[in-house]
Amino acid sequence: MPSERLLDIGSTITIEKQAFNLLLSHLKEEGYLSIGPRVKNESLVYEEIESLDDLPQGYSTEQKPGYFRLIREKHSRYFDIIPGAHSWKQFLFPSSVELFTLHKNGKGWKNTTQPTETPSYAFIGVRACELAAIQIQDNIFMRSDFTDPTYRARRQRVFILSVNCTHPAGSCFCTSMGTGPRTKEMFDLSLTELDDVFVLTIGSQIARRMMTGIPFEDASGYILTNVEHKLNNAEQQMRRKLDTSDLPELIIEHLDHPYWNEIGKRCLSCGNCTQVCPTCFCWDTMDEMSLDGNTTKRTRVWDSCFNPGYSHQAGGNTRPTIYSRYRQWLSHKLGTWKQQYGTLGCIGCGRCITWCPAEIDITEEIAALRNEVKR
Amino acid sequence: MTTLAPETTKSHSDLLLEPHWAEITEIIPEADGISTYWLRFTDPAEQEAFRFEPGQFNMLYLPGFGESAISISSNAEDHEKIGHTIRFVGNVTRQVSRLKVGDIVGLRGPFGTYWPMKEMEGKDVFIACGGIGLPPLRPALYHIIKNREKYGKVTLLYGARTSGDLMFPNEYAEWRKAGIDVEVTVDRGDANWNGRVGVVPMWFYQFRIDPRKTAVITCGPEIMIRFVIFEAMARRVAPENIYVSLERNMKCGQGSCGHCQMGPYFICKDGPVFRFDELQSFFNVEEF
Amino acid sequence: MYNKAEVTQELEKIPWFKEIKPEHLQKITDIAHLRHVRAGEVLFREGDREDFLYIVIEGRIALDIFIPHRGKVRIYTAEPWDLFGWSSVTPIIHQRTAGAIAVVDGLVVGIDSAKLRQACDDDHDLGYLVMRRLTNIVASRLLVTRLQLIDMFASPEEKNAK
Repeated sequence: MPSERLLDIGSTITIEKQAFNLLLSHLKEEGYLSIGPRVKNESLVYEEIESLDDLPQGYSTEQKPGYFRLIREKHSRYFDIIPGAHSWKQFLFPSSVELFTLHKNGKGWKNTTQPTETPSYAFIGVRACELAAIQIQDNIFMRSDFTDPTYRARRQRVFILSVNCTHPAGSCFCTSMGTGPRTKEMFDLSLTELDDVFVLTIGSQIARRMMTGIPFEDASGYILTNVEHKLNNAEQQMRRKLDTSDLPELIIEHLDHPYWNEIGKRCLSCGNCTQVCPTCFCWDTMDEMSLDGNTTKRTRVWDSCFNPGYSHQAGGNTRPTIYSRYRQWLSHKLGTWKQQYGTLGCIGCGRCITWCPAEIDITEEIAALRNEVKR
Repeated sequence: MTTLAPETTKSHSDLLLEPHWAEITEIIPEADGISTYWLRFTDPAEQEAFRFEPGQFNMLYLPGFGESAISISSNAEDHEKIGHTIRFVGNVTRQVSRLKVGDIVGLRGPFGTYWPMKEMEGKDVFIACGGIGLPPLRPALYHIIKNREKYGKVTLLYGARTSGDLMFPNEYAEWRKAGIDVEVTVDRGDANWNGRVGVVPMWFYQFRIDPRKTAVITCGPEIMIRFVIFEAMARRVAPENIYVSLERNMKCGQGSCGHCQMGPYFICKDGPVFRFDELQSFFNVEEF
Repeated sequence: MYNKAEVTQELEKIPWFKEIKPEHLQKITDIAHLRHVRAGEVLFREGDREDFLYIVIEGRIALDIFIPHRGKVRIYTAEPWDLFGWSSVTPIIHQRTAGAIAVVDGLVVGIDSAKLRQACDDDHDLGYLVMRRLTNIVASRLLVTRLQLIDMFASPEEKNAK
């Protein structure tokens, strides 16, 4: 029944699915730009959404190494689909952002950067693993000794509606990385989709406000059991596993193992994995000067350790062959990241597996490396 | 373990990598393709506030071309100007070679860890370096000279490819007078060169190095560093007493863009000066 | 000229000579001589057929090779306790492949290579020690030469131009 009382933080309720549109319009009135999953060009992207109708209702995906297909199912659920190549990092850490513009001023330069509006995003449909990725990137871009102003400005404004996965896709292995399928913290609203209703947990003050005036019911014991059941199911269904018990040591102590050459032979160094990975954070800068030499624009763009120019310096290239670049990526992600940031850098989303044209599966490669090392 | 000195050039606004502006006050050609650029911040308050430790570097910015990490090669006690010894080898530095006195460039810094001047007090200091590895060590030499009594025997073993490539030769006499044993070698000599001919690492045998109280510091091409470390450790110098300065492709100087990583370390933030035991486990891994 | 006792005295300062048996040392000093050199003095020229192995006691001896159109390139300097001219002991090319010139005033010990080979043939124990020592010296000289070959200080532009 409709109620004007503010829900408590931590409380779990159910709403009719159509009531979700009320939430979206509340967010819009508040100034948020809602971003959610959409079907586009036979793939799944994160773009602006206005209503429930924009969501990929009735779809799921089939994913495995080097393979992604949208499947039309008989169900009518909106969020029962595992993400495609897009991740949320493109909104907090844009693939291209202007740093500043300079105008020639005598012998020097004048800063003529125009202030830009920072968008207030509402991320609709953040998976548990993706939330873990945002947490990881928070540690990278907002540190005590260094903060990226763009990331911080956007991150501070972001409204997160997370989704608990009930059906993992073929590439998923979040349970191995301890990042899912449940979202436990750091969300404004957490959603689990059942056939008839959305089950929502309130996570913040803003969520309380956004939910005002939306008809709801307190979640019954039956509903909560159902949710638990579905999440347990999701855990069981996850086929792919990555044994992390000996990471990072397995990698760090065997950097010169010949097996890296084996992977190197198959890797194309295309960089897809770094592009789709929600935690990869390397970036480069570009200077664009006008033809008359009076204006320069400095831009920050994504970079990848697979790019040959990435490790190029005055004395030559430190990683001229593909195997050493692959090793750099994986030994960082599942190895040295721990020493740098306290956790491993992988969230178990499986994007790098799905989107690798050479069908390299990091869970298999780690298992193979472990095997080779034991021999 | 050396600690990071805070960046002196704090951003005025919230812009990432915002440059601060400095004027070129003097250009000194040092060797073929290498010159020292003396810079002074255009804002006198910034120049006055700028402090660095020997071994640190600045990011030099040429709008339209990009940034380059350059070690500071001047005396840390000189607050009037900052010396940057630059080899013209990439897009940015080649453009720098076309600049004139009075031109304005962007400057950010200082960044990185620094030579362990405090840790080395009371010890003998053996400096083995080569080529363009001497400029980042010059501030350390000046510090030692200013505080000579705090250090034991101090040796500078410096090599270059030919006699024309030796850096700062007009200062050697002064350094010797200040109590530094300056020993020079070249890879290839000519009939006019009466000094040593041979690579830096091979001359270790001539020096009495007491491993119990010697700190070895080295900077130069990584292949040279490798053999210097080999020679030092062959003389029982412990890895904890060897310090190296490394170089990698740097873009941000702040441990954020990822380019300069070597294993778990960001060379710009956890280095460039490292105590060798921190690197030992992966220093010799090919193409790491 | 110097007498045997003076030669022995100088050689005994060098660690390796301290470690070998007195009778072995004796056999070497019998075929060795001391030579004072002045700065600029040429000990031997490229192409010479003289046959001595030298040890530097004091000073610095430079080894030069003349390259047509390029001039004299100084490839090595031998410092106190360093050896040069060792290829005459196990000759492949029976003439000097480089010239030796004293850069500063100095003192060297010359050992007759032919007589040294003979002494090694006659006394295999001595032969083994001498050859082992020479192998060590040649190995470290090879390492140095390789490092010179790598041209570690070459500027990247030159490397790329190749």
